[in-house]
Order: sequence, then structure tokens, then C-alpha cells
Amino acid sequence: MKNRFLLLAFSLFLAGIGAVSAQSNKISFEEYDLDNGLHVILHQDKSTPIVTVSVMYHVGSKNENPERTGFAHFFEHLMFEGTQNIPRGEYSNFVERAGGTLNANTSNDRTYYYEILPSNQLELGLWLESERMLHAKVDSIGIQTQKKVVIEEKKQTVDSRPYGTLFQETMKRAFKVHPYRWTVIGDPDHIRAAKDEEFQQFYKEFYVPNNAALVIAGDIEIESAKELINKYFAEIPKGNKDIYRPTMVEPDLGGEVRDTIFDNIQLPLIVQAYRTPAMGTDDYYALDMLSTLLSGGQSSRLYKSLVDEQQKALEAGSFAMPFQDPSVALAYALPNMGVDCADLEAAIDVEVSKVREELISEKEFQKLRNQFENSFVKSNVKLASRAENLATNYVYFDNTNLINTELDKYMAVTREDIKRVANKYLVEDNRVVLYYLPKSQQN
Amino acid sequence: MKKSVIFILALLVAFNINAQLDRSTPPKPGPAPKVNIGKAQTFELKNGLKVFVVENDKVPVVSYTLSLDIDPIVEGEKAGYSSIAGDLMGSGTSTRSKAQIDEAVDFIGATLNTSSKGMYASSLKKHSDELLNLMTDVLYNPSFPAEELEKAQKQMLTGLKSQKDDPKAIASNIKSVLRFGKDHPYGEILTEASVEAITVDDLKSYYNTYFRPNVAYLVIVGDISVKEAKKQAKKYFAQWESKEVPTYKYEFPAGFETPKVVVANKDGSTQSTISLSYNVDLKPGHPDAIKARVMNSILGGGSFSARLFQNLREDKAFTYGAYSSLSSDELVGTFNAGANVRTSVTDSAFTEIIYEMERMRTELVEEANLQLVKNSLTGSFSRSLEDPATVARFALNIEKYNLPADYYETYLEKLNAVSTADIKAMAEKYLTPDNALILAVGDVPNMRASLKKFAKDGKVEMYDFYGNMVKAMPLPADLTAEKVINKYIKAIGGTEAIAAVDNYILEGTMNVQGMPLSMKMYSRRPNHQCVETYMQGNLVSKQVFNGEAGKVVSPMGEQKIEGEMLENMKAESVMFPETQYAELGYQLELLGADNVDGQDVVKLKVISPSGKEQTVFYSRNTGLKVKEVSTSPQGTMASTYTEYAEVNGIKFPKKMSQAVGPQSFDITFESIKVNEDIDASKFDI
Repeated sequence: MKNRFLLLAFSLFLAGIGAVSAQSNKISFEEYDLDNGLHVILHQDKSTPIVTVSVMYHVGSKNENPERTGFAHFFEHLMFEGTQNIPRGEYSNFVERAGGTLNANTSNDRTYYYEILPSNQLELGLWLESERMLHAKVDSIGIQTQKKVVIEEKKQTVDSRPYGTLFQETMKRAFKVHPYRWTVIGDPDHIRAAKDEEFQQFYKEFYVPNNAALVIAGDIEIESAKELINKYFAEIPKGNKDIYRPTMVEPDLGGEVRDTIFDNIQLPLIVQAYRTPAMGTDDYYALDMLSTLLSGGQSSRLYKSLVDEQQKALEAGSFAMPFQDPSVALAYALPNMGVDCADLEAAIDVEVSKVREELISEKEFQKLRNQFENSFVKSNVKLASRAENLATNYVYFDNTNLINTELDKYMAVTREDIKRVANKYLVEDNRVVLYYLPKSQQN
Repeated sequence: MKKSVIFILALLVAFNINAQLDRSTPPKPGPAPKVNIGKAQTFELKNGLKVFVVENDKVPVVSYTLSLDIDPIVEGEKAGYSSIAGDLMGSGTSTRSKAQIDEAVDFIGATLNTSSKGMYASSLKKHSDELLNLMTDVLYNPSFPAEELEKAQKQMLTGLKSQKDDPKAIASNIKSVLRFGKDHPYGEILTEASVEAITVDDLKSYYNTYFRPNVAYLVIVGDISVKEAKKQAKKYFAQWESKEVPTYKYEFPAGFETPKVVVANKDGSTQSTISLSYNVDLKPGHPDAIKARVMNSILGGGSFSARLFQNLREDKAFTYGAYSSLSSDELVGTFNAGANVRTSVTDSAFTEIIYEMERMRTELVEEANLQLVKNSLTGSFSRSLEDPATVARFALNIEKYNLPADYYETYLEKLNAVSTADIKAMAEKYLTPDNALILAVGDVPNMRASLKKFAKDGKVEMYDFYGNMVKAMPLPADLTAEKVINKYIKAIGGTEAIAAVDNYILEGTMNVQGMPLSMKMYSRRPNHQCVETYMQGNLVSKQVFNGEAGKVVSPMGEQKIEGEMLENMKAESVMFPETQYAELGYQLELLGADNVDGQDVVKLKVISPSGKEQTVFYSRNTGLKVKEVSTSPQGTMASTYTEYAEVNGIKFPKKMSQAVGPQSFDITFESIKVNEDIDASKFDI
């Protein structure tokens, strides 16, 4: 009797925690378009004398010609070669001499460039990024150099790294129609075969103001920042080509896909990739929480059950794949010495069937919500991450303010939702299963 | 005609572009930005706890940093106890186990760390109360469980073991002892004896003496108002009992009148870890501090353009990197310049470091060089401010070191005002190679003599890991490597007893990263060997050599051993190879006297027929082998042998400890059997 009362008190207490407003600290910003179509987002934060200048181009590997994969990533390299006014190899030196840092990255959906500078160097950042957008060097010297670099990069990160082909092998089986079927790094043969003109065409199509978002975040004065942005970006002509955006919809997987890859590895690895809905949909949020519950980090169910308790796995985890279009949720496990892959997979399936059959406990659910709230808040602590989140939310969803409201979507997910999406998506017919085995076991 | 039109057009275009925007040169920076550091509000509780509040509502997170402002203490024979006391505060309270604390922190996604000088806790604002409950439980009721102390001691001892072969650790110990003296808190070093002497009572006494509100600062940073902070501070920290805390004063350690030149041995090393260091009287916030920092950045800061890097790496290719540091400290600051260099250029590297220090003292640096360093320091200073912990640290420093309230707000202005003349003045004041400890850790016989020129009296002294001087122990003039080996053979039982051994089986246990493993080693004449490893009673790997072929069996399958690996396996499988060194084609060289863990030893270089080199240490007293060191591309491997026990007239070491890089593990052989029946199939390939 007494116990039941305690339990009730406890769940009331938990409900109380949940009722507190999820997030009160709004991130303010201002946004507008220049005449040439460049979308500008300004976020003032004067607490630190630094400024982030970043540009997100809405071009990723999914915008590539299937015969020319790897182009978007190739451009990320090429865009450091220089411009009409910036000598070859000098692009990053300007930033470093000013006491700043810079970098870039490419995904399936977009390419992102940024500089973090002392705030009195805002103009330098604008000059650098506008040079890149206006007249970057897309010439044969740079193309030749970067072809070598990129092909070498693929060798190092994909071909000679254990399990380096994991994304490549998973995605080409999970997708038949959608360009997510190839990976960001692409096919070196495509890069090798590409002519200089093709790169120049790509630049003209995608590296245009009407396909980009410029985010200036940090210690800025809004009005003078606007003037400077105008000074450097307004004269960049709008692109006059149609921008290719893939519209194909990937049909259902239509049954489990199962395969074995023999690789230069010592330990086997199991991959389970379930097809998932696009980012931003209600199911996406529930499924994201579900995959964290199952395989996110050392307090996840798979890790606790397979690694800690049953000791069947050496390691278990997941890769987040937050893509604009429908994608996959990818979990993996490495069997312990002497454990059969099929055995380990059966143990994984037991955990997956639990989330399909049972509601998760209130306590575990609350911990999960706490985890999401924490990581959401932390993802906006650094100025640079805030700038990138603002850019992503605009470029993917045309909803910059999602930075202030996205957590509500997670907090709206119920225990029942988690069970529901488990039953809808985490089913055999909707998954690709790969076994990575050592080459020595082939034949 | 046509031509001139084009000319005019071209002019127009050029003019037009100029009128709009000159893109050809990078824009100039604006005036140095004024740093807008959140102002700290302060108040004090009745028990003396000073509280700082830095409001920062960017994200709904609040952090609590508790920091003790106490004098460093001399720990003496129990060196290491304050650090363990700090670590273990979060390992259990009177009502919570360590697991319960961890789970509670995890549930709200918070962070809670403890140290000997305070605590740090951070979480979302809405979990603040839960967090403060945990934090104050740890603060008021730490239980210091004996088993947690034991675990911490074990970890420290394991760490010590691997440090003994780490040139950086050797150098750090010698610097501490020689520059500060063993009676100064900065001169104390950890030893096996000091770690083992620590008791739960030491931890409790440290906690009871020093964790007091009257010497503590509580810095609250984040999404919280001063009013809320006051309420929280009173609710959670008002009951913390104050008590007088002892204070200590220390003499500024006497430096060196002339350079002191010291070497230390790192067997099997091809590199010297060199360091030129001395004590500096530079307190935090001193008017020189910023200028001196810029000066050091030009000399040897982290950038590619720093002079030591340019000279020793880019120009001379002595090393992968050479750096200097100049740190301020309330008691004693430090200047240090160092690098890892090839043994053969040990002395040249010191010469270049001293040359660059002198050049800073005598020549004005270039304006552009200075500007570059200022820019890079401005950038990193500014970026560091993003972390609320930096802001908290600033507030604390202002209070602790009595700095002007706007010290950090005007930091960039002060930085910007540093002139080339300032740099020279700072170099003259703080770069004093004539008072330095010149220390090289590496292959002593191959570099010691070359360092004589740096000492006024030409003396180069040798020190060990514990900072004790290694006295030369002359070896008998007629000693040879062969005599050392013969003494060893006699010590383990003599040729006859050894010849009577047909086989032996060793069974032992070890602990690898918390996993208990057991091992069985079968050896049979002439050179058959089988090593089996078990985890929880299951065979997980097996390595076999049958005199000709070798293989490794693991759950991943079976692999044949070939090539160089097979050659090595062949050599290692020979039973008592010392009795057959000459026949097998080993080469021996007598290296001299040394000291291993306080034991006088003779050192030999042993080169296998395939060319593998090893340094082997034999006790001068017992004749037994105490240590072996070999170098491979994976790093240096050191094996030590202790607790020899006799079985069938042969002495076997019961304990063996191996250190590879930062890892080390101990094997204890619980069972040693000689001339038992070994199932012949053990050696099947």
C-alpha cells in the first residue's frame, strides 16, 4: 500500500518536471533577402568580441549528376584555392593572420563554409566569402591539385579504413532511386573523368546568391553589418540557370535487404539500417528519440544489454543521419570474441522487439527527455553552432525560427508515440542488414 | 580609332569598379573591439563564503564552481594524498554510493567533478536544485570508501610504472626536485612509497581541514539572477561550517648562479627530450604579464612563425617542434624551452635555443612579427570568452590576485599597446639562460660529453626518475659481458640444472584494462612454445611455435606467422638462450653501471642474430636479470622481473611487469612446473 503511494508521488513529481517550460531563452535574429536572392540572417550577441561569417550553399551530394558523384565535396576543396583577388593558397592565411579560424564541410544536402574572427574583422570575412561567391578560381591548376587530394582522401577515409565503406554499402542498398544512394565522397572515377568545364558549370549553377544563406552572428551592429553586406554581396549577380533539386521519392524498401561484406578487418560488425521519415516530420522526432533510447551512447539499451550485461558485444552504437529527405537510422554492433554474428543480431532484435511491444517506463522516458533537452541546449551554446543551426533551419525548412521551437517538437513526443513509430518503422521489411566479416572468412 | 575606344572603355570600367569597391586588397580591421565581459556581482555569506554571480542568459544552464583559495601544502611522505582526497569526494557519501551519485547526475544530464581545490557542477537551470542537493551532499558528507582509495592507489601506481620510462615524466620530476627542492610544495614528487602510505584518515583530515567556506569562492555562472543566486547560496551553503584554515609561507627557491647541466637515462632512446628551464618571479596580473606573454609567443609560442620553431624545425630539421612557455604563478613562475631532438644534435639544439633567447635580448623584433602575434592572441582570447567558465575564472582572478576591476575588459587594449621596445625589455628581464637548468633525457653515453660546454665548471650530473643523483659506480676493470652472463646462468641455477630442464609450464594471471586474464605458457626443448590466454575460463587466443612454423589462433581465425615475425618467434622460443648465446650468434656489449629501482645493476646491449637490440639489466648483487628494454616502431617496451623463486633447482621470476607506451600490466605466475608431461598436441601447427 505504502509502496503504491510512493510510486504515485514519484510519477507526479516527474510530471511536474516535465511541465516546466522547455526553453525560455529565445535566440533572436533578423533575416531578409538581397535583390540577387541571397538570404541574410543576422544574429547579434555582443557578449564575446567575435563574429562568425558563414555561408551555407544549398548543394550537397544529392544535387549531383549520378555520373559525376563527389562534385559537391570536391568544391568544398576547390573553394580554398583562391579567387580573382586572392592568390592561390592564401585564402586561409588571411584568416589566420587576423587571429581567426575557418573551415568547411559537405553533407548530402548542403555545403557549409565559415570563419570565426575577432569582431573588428567582420569586413575581412565578408570580403573573403563574397570573393568566393563572385569569382572563385575554378581553373585547371586548382582542379588538378584538388583531384589528387580528394582521391587520396577517399583512399584514406574509405578504402583503407576498417569499415570505411559502411555508409557506401548501406546507402546503396537502402536507396534505389533517390541520390542518397551514393555517398558524399563519391566515385573517384567520376572526379577523374570530369572536365574543367563541368566544374565551371557546377559553380555557375550552385554557387550563386539565390542558392545560399549568409549568416553573420556575434558582436555586430545590425545596421552597419547590413551596409557592409550590401557593399560586398549586392553586386554579385543572381544565377541565371535552373538549380537542380532532386524530387524523386524513394519507394518502400519492399522487404528486408541482407548482405555480407568481406573487408580487411579483424572484428566482424553488424549494421542495421531502418528507413526513416524526413527531418522535420512528427514521426522523425519520435524516431530520433527512439534510436537514442536504443543505441545512443553508453546508457542506451543496446549498449547496456549487449555490452554490459550479456557481454555479447564489444561495442554498440549508432550514427545520426539527419537528412533533409527520408533517410535511415543506422545502428551497429561489434561482436565480442567468440560470439557469433547471428547470435548477436538475435540479441539486438530482442531489444528492438521490446520497444515495439512495451511502453518505455516513465523514468526512462524522463531521462530520455532530459538527454534531448540537454543536447539541444548545448547545441546552441557556441556562437558557431548557433550560426550553423540558423542556416540549416532556413536552408532545409525555410523556417529559421525552428532554432527556438524544435525542442517543443521533441517534448511533444509521448511514450505512446515512441511505441507507435517502433511498430511502424523498426520492422524487418523496412531494414538493411549488413554483416562485415574479415576477408579471411570468405569462401 | 577602334583601339582608343577600347582603351577608354577599359579606363571607364576600371574607374567604375574603383568607385564601387576595391576588391583587390583585403579590408582593414576596425578598432580593437572592447570586450564585454559579464560583470560579476559579489556577496558574502555569514560563514565567510564569497559568492560571485555572472549572469549569462544565452542558454538555460547554470554552473557552480567552488574554489578553495588555500596555500599549497607540503605532503611529505604521503605525497599525492590531497589529489586523491579531491578525486574521491564524489565517490560516495554517507547516504549515497558512487553508483547512486553517478546515476543521479546522469539522469538530469548534469556534470559534477571534484578536485583537491574545489568542485564544479553544471546542469540545466531547471535541474539546479537537484544538482545542488547532490553537490552539497558530496561537499558535506563525503565518506571516502576504503575500496575507492584502494582503486585510486592502484591506478596511481600503474601510472607511476609507465612514467618511469616516459622521458617527459622523468624530466618533470628532475625539474621539480632540482628547481624547487624537496621541501617546497612544487618540488614534491609521487613515489610508490608515498602513494602506498596514504590512508583514509589522511583524506578525511585533508577534507576537514581545507574544505571550509571561509577560504572558498563560489562562482555561479549562467541563466540566474543575483536574487535567485542569493537565495540558493543561502539555502545550500549557509550551513557549511567555517573553521580556521592553516596558511603557509615559502621562501622563493634559490636559483642557479650559473647553468646547471643534468642528464637522465632513457634506455633504448634515439631522441633526447631537452629542456632549458628556470624559476621566474612573475605573479598573475603583474604589469609585465601581458608583455611577457607576447614576448614568449614570438620566441616559442605555438605558431608556425615562432622563432624556435623556425630555427630548430624549419631551418635545422632537428625536431618536429620546439616551443617555449613563460607562466605566471603566485608562488613561483616558470620559463621553459624544450623539444624532442635526435640524440646527435642534443647539444646543438641547446645552442640554438640559447642563441634565440640572446637574440630576443639584444635585437628589436620586427613590427610585422609583433602584429601577427598580437592578432593571434586577440583571436584566441576573444574566442575563449565564449566559454562561461572563462568569464568565471576572470572574476575569480580579479578577486584572488587583487587585479583592477577592468583588467580583462581592457586586456585587448593592453595587448595592442605592446611595443617592440617592450618586447626587448621583457626579454632582458625574463630570458636568462645563464641561470637555467639544462636537462636532457635520453641516451646518456651518446650525449653527455657534448653538454659539458654549457656548464661553467664542465660538470654534467646524472639524475634518476626520483630526482636523486646517480653516483658513478665504477665497474671492475676486468668485467666483460660474458662474465655478466655467466654470473646470471649461475644465479638461476647453473648449467647442470638448466640442462636437466626438458620443459616447463607457467600459469599466471594479469589484469588488462580492468579485465582479468589468465595465461598458460608451455615451453619444451629445444624451442617449442605455446602461449594460451583465457578470459573467464574461455580460451581467447593461442600462439604456437613448433621449432619451424608458427601460428596465432584467435576468434577471428587462424593466422600463419611468416617473415620477420617468424624469425623473432624462433629466437624468443629458445629455452634459456643465455646458455647458447655464442652458438646462436648473439652479440653482447657491456654498457656500464646503472640503477634500477634502487638496485645497482650492470647494463648489457644484447643483439639477436636477426639484429634486434635489447638493453638488459643484471643485478650486481644477485646476478639475476631485473629488467629488459627494447624499442620497436610501436614504442619502447620495458619488462621488469621480480620475486625469483626456485623450482627444481632453477630460479624463475614470479612477477613480471611490462610497460608499452602509456600502458603497463603485471603478470603473476602462481604455478611454475618443471619437467611435467606436456601433451604433445599443444605444439601442433
